[in-house]
Amino acid sequence: MKKNNYNYIIVAGCSRFGANIASMLSLQGKDVVVLDNDSRSFRKLSPGYSGFTNIADATDIDELTRAGIEKADVVVAATNDDNTNIMIAQIASKIFNVPKVVSRLYDTEKEIVYQDFNIQIIYPSRLSMNEFEKLILTDDMEVLK
Amino acid sequence: MQLNRKEIGSYKVALGYIGVLTMITGGIMLLPLFVILGFPDELGHVQNFIIPAALAFLTGFLLSLFIRGEKKQQLTLRQDTVIVVAVWLLAAFFSSMPFMLSKQLNFTQAFFEAVSGWTTTGLSVVDVTVTPKIYLMFRSIMQFFGGVGLVLVMLSALSGTYGMRLYNAEGHSDKLLPNLVKSARVIMSIYAGYVVAGTILYVIFGMSLFDAINHSIAALSTGGFSTQVDSIGAYKSLPIELITIILMLLGTTNFAAHLVLISGKFRSFIKIGEIRFMLLLLGLAIPIMAFVSLNGIYGSAAQGLRISAFQIVSALSTTGFSTVGFNNWLPLPIFLIVILMLIGGGAGSTAGGIKLYRIYLMVKAFLWNLRRKFLPEHLVNEDVVYRPEGKLFIEEKHISEASNYAFIYMVMLFLGVGVMLANGYSLQDSLFEFASSLGTVGLSIGITLPSTPPIVLWTQIVGMLFGRLEIYVIFIAGIKIFKDARNRIALAIKK
Repeated sequence: MKKNNYNYIIVAGCSRFGANIASMLSLQGKDVVVLDNDSRSFRKLSPGYSGFTNIADATDIDELTRAGIEKADVVVAATNDDNTNIMIAQIASKIFNVPKVVSRLYDTEKEIVYQDFNIQIIYPSRLSMNEFEKLILTDDMEVLK
Repeated sequence: MQLNRKEIGSYKVALGYIGVLTMITGGIMLLPLFVILGFPDELGHVQNFIIPAALAFLTGFLLSLFIRGEKKQQLTLRQDTVIVVAVWLLAAFFSSMPFMLSKQLNFTQAFFEAVSGWTTTGLSVVDVTVTPKIYLMFRSIMQFFGGVGLVLVMLSALSGTYGMRLYNAEGHSDKLLPNLVKSARVIMSIYAGYVVAGTILYVIFGMSLFDAINHSIAALSTGGFSTQVDSIGAYKSLPIELITIILMLLGTTNFAAHLVLISGKFRSFIKIGEIRFMLLLLGLAIPIMAFVSLNGIYGSAAQGLRISAFQIVSALSTTGFSTVGFNNWLPLPIFLIVILMLIGGGAGSTAGGIKLYRIYLMVKAFLWNLRRKFLPEHLVNEDVVYRPEGKLFIEEKHISEASNYAFIYMVMLFLGVGVMLANGYSLQDSLFEFASSLGTVGLSIGITLPSTPPIVLWTQIVGMLFGRLEIYVIFIAGIKIFKDARNRIALAIKK
């Protein structure tokens, strides 16, 4: 699985993160479905986005089935609530056996929940920390020069 | 200054897209040449198609050089509408050339014929008895691609970054699949599949292959160009009329609804509000017309029913085939036909008119309003309309958009009728003929003839374009071009 041959992606939560991912994938010609329980959040999608926008609760199994989770290759849990993300990711990987599940997690302490699951996690806080360290480090180097 | 450069850049992208679409037009214009295989004696007309096709291709290629290399330029707001309108005008212009080169028609008539073809109207100033077959086929091919739309043809072949915006600007409202290119391909294959099926059925029931292809395309695209003077009436055959009715109904059905039907979900198909509304209208209009007014003219009630069913479906689906002339009709059936032509076909199909969906929504809104008067003031409820993709919760915005559209549609209608009245036609005839143009129907009460004054033909051309591209798009494109041009001039003066 070196190449990206996944084609059906469900994005749960039309946050900035979710909307950008959905727009990017849609422009690449993938089938994308975005779920959000607030119709106003779909504004963040780019005008070129051509996938479905379902107004639905993404923790609702019926709604996920309607969005086609059974044939989905990737599920992205991108709501702005960690617990919701955990739940969506677990539904996707446990119940529907989605091959690739990506979840966003702000609170690094909760990563223990994801142990024993086949779920990829993005930690915005940890990424920011790394970036911060890098900035500080380069500052130090400049001072040393 | 930087903004200015951005604006020029965005027009480069727009021109590039216009170029790509014009190249496709050029390709489409070569398709009628296949007729030569069946009718080799028409070889002499080949250059009349090759020259305009080559011109279209060359223009398109030169314009498309603008987007070669640089990919990341942005289209500014609403420039998509400019692209769509420009492409349709260019397509009609290039398609009018074969008629002019062969010296059959003058420019006004040729442009009228081309616009009538691309907008799937079907009003014609061509005499089909003397016109060579290759031109008749060309008219049908224009209707085939005009029905689905040029942007959709482009998208099903190659995807573009701005596909979605162009897709919306051309008036397609539905997403069949969560992927634009795949949706476009599904629509094309549903459409082409029906055309092939229609052709086969026609041939089985005794039509010649050439006529069958033409009529099948014209019925499905709700176009209505016929290869016979008397249209479908020339065959005097009940099975052929029935097939045509079915094809017209299929053509006027939303493509998303087709997908629901084909995937076997008959129950959810019948639940779609638009479909129900269409059946209700047909169920009301056909008997009224048959029993109240037509059985007096055509002898028996059965004959009246047959004619009324065909004409009503033809008008509502905005196809424009006819089995009889309208000259001896009483005002009441004419009035019914006019109303149905104004209502028109399904949203997201190949049909024109105000669209069943908008009318349905407005009728529903009226009923909801009435009901609300009898309910407590603070009641919380949700108004729902069934669409092919599922339930849609109706907000104030949806209703105001629909009624706005209906209003501007009626304004356009009255303006057009006014121009016709000024040229000395009767009110009934003008109303009928312009409703037919604006709704891209193509039924004619006898105004549209080769001898019609140019001003009337141009009014109809404008009506047909507004009807096909949906009035807003042309307005937005016009305002956009005007604004940008004004800004450019203001800048130039400042310097």
